[in-house]
Amino acid sequence: MRNLVHGELRKAVTGRTWWILMLAGTFLCLLSTFGFASEGHKAVAAGGSAADVTNDIARAWMMMFLFASLSGAILVTREYGTGTVARSVLLAGSRGRLLAAKTAVATAAGAAFGLLAAGLGALACAFAGAPYGDSAAFTRETWLILAGVFACSVLAAPWGALLGWIVRNQVSAVALLITLTLVVDPGVQALAPEAAQYLLTIAMSSVYRDVKPDLLPVPWAFAAIAGWLTAAWFAARRLLTTRDIV
Amino acid sequence: MSTTPAISLTGLTKKFKDVTAVDDLTVDIRAGRVTGLLGRNGAGKTTTLRMLLGLAGPTAGHATVLGRPYGELPRAAHRVGVAMDAIGPVTGSTVRGELLVWTACLGLDRRRTDEVIGLTGLTGAEDRPVSGCSTGMKQRLALATALLADPEVLVLDEPANGLDPDGIRWLRDTLRELAAEGRTVLVSSHQLAEVEQTVDDVVVVQRTLRYAGTLADLTDGGAHRLEERFFHLVDAPERALTHA
Repeated sequence: MRNLVHGELRKAVTGRTWWILMLAGTFLCLLSTFGFASEGHKAVAAGGSAADVTNDIARAWMMMFLFASLSGAILVTREYGTGTVARSVLLAGSRGRLLAAKTAVATAAGAAFGLLAAGLGALACAFAGAPYGDSAAFTRETWLILAGVFACSVLAAPWGALLGWIVRNQVSAVALLITLTLVVDPGVQALAPEAAQYLLTIAMSSVYRDVKPDLLPVPWAFAAIAGWLTAAWFAARRLLTTRDIV
Repeated sequence: MSTTPAISLTGLTKKFKDVTAVDDLTVDIRAGRVTGLLGRNGAGKTTTLRMLLGLAGPTAGHATVLGRPYGELPRAAHRVGVAMDAIGPVTGSTVRGELLVWTACLGLDRRRTDEVIGLTGLTGAEDRPVSGCSTGMKQRLALATALLADPEVLVLDEPANGLDPDGIRWLRDTLRELAAEGRTVLVSSHQLAEVEQTVDDVVVVQRTLRYAGTLADLTDGGAHRLEERFFHLVDAPERALTHA
């Protein structure tokens, strides 16, 4: 299994996908950061809390989890696009071992995205207000938000990979993840907030300590995320072991 | 000459909805020989190889390699080398990078990568992106990947596609050398003139099995051209298996 994970790690860092996704995620998070810093300056000038502004900036880095999930999906689906998945299956020993190895590597990639988001998020909190003459106000909450941002990226990457195994097509998997994250889950949250709190990306809002109402307590949010990942694992495993490869 | 089958297909059938791609294929591939799996495009050659390797499940029948289904064969990845047209390289890889990925998966020493690069004539192209390689170089890379674990059995799907005359001669010599080392080589192709100069045994399929036996028997020791016999077999109505 160690050899297989080693090989999958090599695949994951081959090509430009990983750093393009990291760059794109960083760019979008920075855009949000500048927005929060600018609006925060006005809020502080009006008597608002500097700590709230710092926390908003930290929270802006949650967006990296979308890119972590895309990296997981692409890790799997690009192999279907090129047919490489056939060799991966042949050399893995079994399809179950390949699923486990890819999921492990996707999780490791998610951790890399999470570290990037949490690290740059902390730097953004410290320096984003500087052009406006505002100082950062780090609190325990700020660090909990950054820890949540890290955790969401770690958990989003295997989610993307498992959806990749189910969908098997890169464009469809990417479109599905973006639609779920940006359209479906927020839409359900607007229409039925009680039910939406159990959706994966809404449960992640609890983890990065969003201030919206109708969110699950953090332990329950982790349980909901675990439930989605478990269901996706069984669906992916079932489909991978029963469908023809290429 | 060994008579132990390295590969056995028994009643192998694959249906895609209403289309039967492979129908009741039963044949043994002898060990230590180069066997050509011949048929027109769409005759079921690649589907047969996919079922042999467990990449596709048969609708009926079963296939074994070295006595077991591929998925149940101990150290299958080390004993069976595969190069198929449908298997592309890792996106964004170089020649060496591609081989290092599979070397890692197989748990082999990195030096094996350089050995197969030398064996397949890819020296000097190690750092070239695979996407920038010619078709012939990609075919050599596919064979290099198949040879990484020094396997007993090689399954090659259309390895001569896109090769120039030099490449074809190189492939022919390489396959003969591999068989001379005791390996079993199953090579699918529709390039009959080339196959005629390379293989010991021939399996002709056109959805069903049309012939399985030695090339010498099929061509009456060279009295007939393979092409002539091939078209006679595939154009004939489906009939009973002809065993040499």
